[in-house]
Amino acid sequence: MKKRRINPSRRARSRLAVFLILTGLMILVSLLAPLPCPNDPNATSSAAMNRPPCAQFPLGTDRYGRCVCSRVLMGARTSIFSAVALVGVTFAVGTALGMLSGWYGGAIDALVMRLADVMLAFPQMVLAIAVAGILGGGMGNAMLAMGITGWTLYARLARAQVLSLKEEPYVHAARLSGLGALRILTGTLLPNMLGPLLVSAATQIGVMMIGIAGLSFLGIGVAEPQAEWGSMINASRAYMQLAPWAVLAPSAATILTVMVFNCLGDCVRDVLDVGVGE
Amino acid sequence: MTLLEGKGLVKRYHSQKSEVEALCGVDFRLREGEILGVAGESGSGKSTLLKLIAGLEAPTAGTLLLRGLPLRHRRTKEEYRSMQMVFQNAPASFNPRRTILDAITGSVHSLRGKSAKVDAGALSAMVNLPPELMNRYPRQLSGGQCQRFAIARAMAVQPDILLCDEITSALDVSSQAQILSLLSKLCREKHTSAIFVSHDLAAIRCICDRVMVMREGVVVEQGTIGQVISAPKEDYTRRLVESVLQI
Repeated sequence: MKKRRINPSRRARSRLAVFLILTGLMILVSLLAPLPCPNDPNATSSAAMNRPPCAQFPLGTDRYGRCVCSRVLMGARTSIFSAVALVGVTFAVGTALGMLSGWYGGAIDALVMRLADVMLAFPQMVLAIAVAGILGGGMGNAMLAMGITGWTLYARLARAQVLSLKEEPYVHAARLSGLGALRILTGTLLPNMLGPLLVSAATQIGVMMIGIAGLSFLGIGVAEPQAEWGSMINASRAYMQLAPWAVLAPSAATILTVMVFNCLGDCVRDVLDVGVGE
Repeated sequence: MTLLEGKGLVKRYHSQKSEVEALCGVDFRLREGEILGVAGESGSGKSTLLKLIAGLEAPTAGTLLLRGLPLRHRRTKEEYRSMQMVFQNAPASFNPRRTILDAITGSVHSLRGKSAKVDAGALSAMVNLPPELMNRYPRQLSGGQCQRFAIARAMAVQPDILLCDEITSALDVSSQAQILSLLSKLCREKHTSAIFVSHDLAAIRCICDRVMVMREGVVVEQGTIGQVISAPKEDYTRRLVESVLQI
């Protein structure tokens, strides 16, 4: 019997398409919030406290009578956008520093890498808690606390890629074409090293989301009444036996979103791995 | 007339534990229109010498003179244009994300200005390949085809000196002969000088006017093909010639 062989790159691309659609939907929902919210996410009602899921409140209400579904949707904007923005900034800063470090070597390399070593000497979450504790609550400070160590991953990866690629004959050919360092770094090296960096960035979105939610859960991230999944879990955990939906809904949203972004990272890696030899 | 001259070229590589002297005071001269062969075993310093000449690495000591003027490690665009290199691994010498035509156009525009036109038809005809192959990526071409386009890229900027680093060693015998014949023809037609680095003395005998034999970073013997390969004076050169004949 003849077996039908599915092209592995096509399978990887199909999976990537599915997860791109899912992440696209999540980002769309968070972009459109509060439009898809069934109720006002900040409206309190003493008559609707801890109400179980019903037609009016699809995911129930919390201890202040606020619609959990609306708050989860509003929280998506805070959680997803803060994580994506944070990864974007740390990716850009880390990649630029790592590339300069790998290309020039010497004092620049020593300075950037020792700074990264110092940052990596502390566990990320412990340092983030310390920074957020000193700077105070708020989304900006929580992002800064997470970002202070986040860039090191990209810097080390980019440096290693540049060190390996800069001895490739096509980079030598680019130098012999009279191209300056900036044009070689951005036009020749960056497109050829973007794959592993993008995979890391895609998987880091989930990590950052958990980190920011963790800080908010501990009370040093986003403050009430702003909707954020970590702070929602923290605010409702004391009433878990009375209104489990107020904890389960933001928890499920966090887990699902992180899973989807992690799977997206895996798919990007699969597609790039398979695609190189084609 | 001397086009390129190297005086007392030294290159040392430092590591944490040791120091390696790849070149220990190399002197050479390349005349206009001449093809100079550089022979020697692996590790003799041939490729290091070529990297120093191309400006890819800075010499630890010594000077390079182009038409009597000193060449610094930091080159001008004109100095880069005057010396072009063809690499051993031709497919890897093209950016994998760009087509051959893009790579050649980028090189020409960078070295000869944006207004310089790239005639894909003439370039591909020069290296005896169909022009449509220039729209392919390097991974879609054979090693021999890539090597021809690498020669086309180098010749497209009309260099004064072509630096060839083991350009036939990764090719099959038939492609080797074609590349050697093409290189020789182009250099003669366009009056381009060349430094042809190879461990293959037969290839050197085929296309070079003079040869320089290197061993452990030192020039052991240099002279015309007749002098060095047919009647070697040094034991090392004799052994090198005999080892080729035995194969």
